[in-house]
Amino acid sequence: MRFVLRRLAFFVVTLWAAVTLNFLIPRLMPGNAALAMMSRYKGRIQPQAMHAIEIAFGINTHQSLVHAYFTYLGNIVRGHFGISLTFFPDAVSHQVLQALPWTLGLVGATTILAFLLGTFIGLVSAWRRGGFLDGALPPIFVITSAFPYFWLALLAIWLFSIKLGWLPESGGYDVQTTVAWSWAFVGDVVRHSILPAATILITSIGGWILTMRNNTISVLAEDYVRMARAKGLSPWRIMWTYAGRNAILPNLAGFAMSLGFVVSGAILVEFVFNYPGVGWMFLQSVENQDYALMQALFLLLTVAVLLAILVADGATAVLDPRTRDRS
Amino acid sequence: MKRALVFAVLVGVGATVWAGFGTAGDKTVRSASAKTAVTISNEQGTTWTCGFSPFNGDVNSLSFGPVYEELVFVNGLKSGAATKWLASGYKWSNGNKTLVFTIRSGVKWSDGKPFSADDVLFTYKLLKANPGLDLNADWAVLKSVSKSGNKVTFNFKTSAVPYFYYIAAQTPIVAKHIWSSIKNPVTYKDTHPVGTGPFKMSSCSPQVIKYSKNSGYWQKGLPHIDTIYYPAFTSNDPANQQLASGKAQWGSQFIPNIKAYYSSKSSDNHYWFPPLVNVNIFINLKNPILSNVAVRRAMAYAIDRGKVSRIGEYGYEPPSNQTGIVTPTFSSWLDKGLASKITYNPSKAISILQKAGFKKSSGVFHTKDGKPLSFRIINIGGYSDWVASVQVIQQQLKAVGIKITPENLSSTTFDSDAYNGKFELMYNGNESGGPAPYYELRQLLYSKNSAPIGKAASSNWERYYNPAVDKLIEQYGATTDSAKQHAIVTKLEAAMVNDVPVIPITEGVDWYQYNTRNLTGWVTQSNPYAKPAAYEIPDWGVLAMHLKAK
Repeated sequence: MRFVLRRLAFFVVTLWAAVTLNFLIPRLMPGNAALAMMSRYKGRIQPQAMHAIEIAFGINTHQSLVHAYFTYLGNIVRGHFGISLTFFPDAVSHQVLQALPWTLGLVGATTILAFLLGTFIGLVSAWRRGGFLDGALPPIFVITSAFPYFWLALLAIWLFSIKLGWLPESGGYDVQTTVAWSWAFVGDVVRHSILPAATILITSIGGWILTMRNNTISVLAEDYVRMARAKGLSPWRIMWTYAGRNAILPNLAGFAMSLGFVVSGAILVEFVFNYPGVGWMFLQSVENQDYALMQALFLLLTVAVLLAILVADGATAVLDPRTRDRS
Repeated sequence: MKRALVFAVLVGVGATVWAGFGTAGDKTVRSASAKTAVTISNEQGTTWTCGFSPFNGDVNSLSFGPVYEELVFVNGLKSGAATKWLASGYKWSNGNKTLVFTIRSGVKWSDGKPFSADDVLFTYKLLKANPGLDLNADWAVLKSVSKSGNKVTFNFKTSAVPYFYYIAAQTPIVAKHIWSSIKNPVTYKDTHPVGTGPFKMSSCSPQVIKYSKNSGYWQKGLPHIDTIYYPAFTSNDPANQQLASGKAQWGSQFIPNIKAYYSSKSSDNHYWFPPLVNVNIFINLKNPILSNVAVRRAMAYAIDRGKVSRIGEYGYEPPSNQTGIVTPTFSSWLDKGLASKITYNPSKAISILQKAGFKKSSGVFHTKDGKPLSFRIINIGGYSDWVASVQVIQQQLKAVGIKITPENLSSTTFDSDAYNGKFELMYNGNESGGPAPYYELRQLLYSKNSAPIGKAASSNWERYYNPAVDKLIEQYGATTDSAKQHAIVTKLEAAMVNDVPVIPITEGVDWYQYNTRNLTGWVTQSNPYAKPAAYEIPDWGVLAMHLKAK
């Protein structure tokens, strides 16, 4: 119990620090949003108009830093992130909520799948090391993990959508499909996600396989595994509850981190496949000095990572009794 | 051996699964692509906000043209030839200080309500009350607007002939019965635009906008096609791929090596890049060395513009000439004698510098007090064609003994430095131009568009100040006589050649690709009835409504 409480306290303090830094950092960056806006009008706009736009954005309002900070905290609690400069005059929260499902669906699902599949393959290849599976899969996926992502993605587009014409090369769904909860639309979305998902999977699975395999091999040399064998337990049970349960612990934190980072999207994936997620939104917000959007995205990212770590800590506590007993 | 076999099996299984999905989907795509639709491919680097406010500079290209319309359509490819649009007539009077429009009758808004002079009056009053909407700075020159019956009268502060373009052709007219109830028009999103145009916005998602035919459109028989699809592209490659495969028929894209990548794919694929505005080297005239006209002239002679165009721009953007007249678009304005005065001639460049008293040491010319002719040139790092162009220029200037060092900046820093005059040399083609060469020359040369170093200048970034030129620019504004206008522009060309305030290098173009398999009626070089890029306001609405199924 104390372990969980301590973790919770740590979570709250880190969250506060992150929120505060998130407030300060954009204000330390050079340049200002008014200029970024002006350049988008190609200098044709009058100075009075610039002033009107500045007021609409809340730029150059002479507010003290402390006052601005508390307004910011209040707005965050209520979920108000202001108006986006990139998507003027739309609210930031609206834009982020529109893009997030695409990223969560694609990157989230593939991250979980890569972890599960990678862990399973790693465990089985360690259990039967030198066997057929161990000889084939880990080397292949380690090699594919070393491929530069954009190269593999472009190659996949070239082969499967341009040469063979099997799969669409870009977008989240076909432009002529009606957006609705129909089988036709869902099928179209799934079809558009196959290439990006497959390429992410191929390039990310190798890491999980390798670490899981190596962890398992070292765990297999432990005395308690020998003990289990001596007791005559079934190999299946030894593999899962003795070797697997212990070998997965170091991987859990890594998995939690990568889950947290899912909300930051995958900039390269979204760029190459023109996929409508939040990854390129990050890029856009920085390029346009869109503080409101930047803050919302960074906040989302920090909170997601912190939450994921908290959950991983909880999972570790369940899987590993030592963390619970220590105090 | 064993491993290779496993790999082959895996690939085979994967391919079969993919093939199953692929064939099923392909059929639906083919049957859905109707003949009476056009799909646009134009990478804008963003998904759609589904806002359509015609006064928001970020999204007005999605509504102004197909949905919202202007009083008079002005063709920028035919030296500003005017077609009456929502106005059925117009007349200048009072020494070209008063402009009266007769408003067309029988036009309806897309929600069925009648359009009238009230809407026109309301629109300009809206711009006056909200400077944030006045993208063309109409009210910088307007004094008042009034209405009587079906006539709307504009009174100007001075003679304002060139402002006709901004007032009549670049200001979209909105419906009074919709916009009068909006509390804050600057932040109004306009998700369901009601316009007088040939199309209605019928559905929008962040990924695609669908426009449908406005069956009650006031120009009888138009538009011919039923649907426009405008997908959002956040990067260039997918947009180009859609064009090459014919899934999109109307492109506004930069395509590297276009012959191999696009034209060779199908005999139905065509492209045309009409030049519109110069990409120039801006020279900071407040710099003590660069204020010497000999240095500027030497640079103008030292640059082989044809080579810059071929290497830096794949030849898509043709080489400019020193008069600043974009050819062939505005050829009728070009003084050929002036244009041929400064051409590529490196030995002439060297002799100009020698005559002006510069001395060469270790390959670089120096001033009398020993300062080298070595300058920084700022550029936008994200524009790979400009970066390549400047590298070519760097080598050409080096050959005559002038050193330039490129600095590739982010576009925000670049703009800020440009406006505030914080540069020695600058590679820039961001002037907005206009339907005749006057507009660009005015942006480049008029001292009222300039400002002291450290203050934001709107377009005369090199800080050129010449009272005689200012006078010429103002005289043009007071005349509607074409012969007088031509005479004034010739004098402005002479100023460009004699003073070399900027060095035009290449001619920025409208990016335009089109596919003729199912559709005809496209803008072509022999029939340039509108600017053809899908981002040109309001021209692309005009192009869209003239498209016809074969």
